[in-house]
Amino acid sequence: MNTNDIISSGLLELHAAGLTSSTEASQVEQWLNEFPEVAAEYAAITAGLEAYAQSTGVQPSPSVKERIFQKINEDQIGRVVAMKESPVTIKTGGVPSFWRTAAAAAILLLLGSIALNIVNYNKYTQANKDLETSEQSLASLEEKNKLMEADMSVVQSKYSVPVALKGLEAAPDAAAKIFWMKNTGEVFIDPSNLPETPQGKQYQLWAIVDGKPVDAGMILTSKQGDKFRIQKMKSFGKAEAFAVTLETEKGNPTPEGPMFVMGKM
Amino acid sequence: MDTIQKYNEEELVLMLQRQDQQAFAYLYDNYAPALNGVIFRLVEDRSLSEDILQEAFLKIWNNFSSYDRTKGRLFTWMMNLTKNLTIDTLRSKGYKKQTKISGDENSVNNLQDTNSGAEKFDAMGIRKQLANLKADQRLVIDLAYFSGLTQDEIAKEIGIPLGTVKTRMRTALLELRRLLQYS
Repeated sequence: MNTNDIISSGLLELHAAGLTSSTEASQVEQWLNEFPEVAAEYAAITAGLEAYAQSTGVQPSPSVKERIFQKINEDQIGRVVAMKESPVTIKTGGVPSFWRTAAAAAILLLLGSIALNIVNYNKYTQANKDLETSEQSLASLEEKNKLMEADMSVVQSKYSVPVALKGLEAAPDAAAKIFWMKNTGEVFIDPSNLPETPQGKQYQLWAIVDGKPVDAGMILTSKQGDKFRIQKMKSFGKAEAFAVTLETEKGNPTPEGPMFVMGKM
Repeated sequence: MDTIQKYNEEELVLMLQRQDQQAFAYLYDNYAPALNGVIFRLVEDRSLSEDILQEAFLKIWNNFSSYDRTKGRLFTWMMNLTKNLTIDTLRSKGYKKQTKISGDENSVNNLQDTNSGAEKFDAMGIRKQLANLKADQRLVIDLAYFSGLTQDEIAKEIGIPLGTVKTRMRTALLELRRLLQYS
């Protein structure tokens, strides 16, 4: 048979499909080794088939790949253990019992060490997590502490003159405290006992100077987070009294809303 | 680790002989749909098809040392391994498909139906070129490569003498290769 006859016989196509009998198959394999033209033709046939199979492929679900890799990894671990054990088991006759015991002990130690590593690693990650939470709560406590200290420095200052503002008709239970620094004229207010403001309204502090109310600033009363902290208002060299009214947001040049609390120096 | 590595067949084979998992993942990504298509056409059941696909890839991984590069393309080896595994599975399950393989009139139609079903999952533009393949040529290719029928059964299926199967396949494959430019 010459190479042209082989190529045109259709046997190569059959072989690529795995449809040749074993005699035919070995014959084809021999030709493939012997004749480069036949091998090239066979390569072209199988390349065409591969492209055809690719074009009619059916995408499997992603879980198949995961399962396969899980399986080969399991098998690999099994194989490693088997390899480690084999010298011990196969040569039992020739190996002195001391070495057998030693090898067994070594394997046990290895397995033990692996287990210990896993346990330690888990402990380590847990400890890391715990540390992170602790650090976070520490930071928030420090923040709180700083604010408290700022409040305390106002209250404790030897120059601070406290003025109690008492609840009026609009809010008999309300109260507020003013701390007036007699050395600097700075005014601080502790508004923590004022009722929550309605939407769109804000408290405004007034200093009564020469019988007239003068704007002393808007009071921040956000209830979110650390609300109602002691806060710095406008400074006054002198004032007869302080009062708080409920005004529209951003405040008014003269008091328009109801007065909540008031106190004289 | 998102580098898209591309291997030629020779590199791929060398890496797989060394049990390189990355190469195996590449092999899977590139050939799983094609092999799944081969299985699906035989079993016509997606979940069974994927079970067999899994088995096939495990076999490819575990028996990779038995692949001989001098005997042909990697895909041809994988396809025949997969096909044989599928046929064995169907037989061991006493699957009903057996009656189809024995070659009654219906099986030809069924096979064509399956093909049009697989069309939904077409991954490549090759389909367009293959539209020009004559129906009887396509049938003989599908029967030979994707049906699990023997030469004898194929001859009965199409209603031609056994001796003609080879030449029919030759003609059909030449046309396929001409269309795909693998001549």
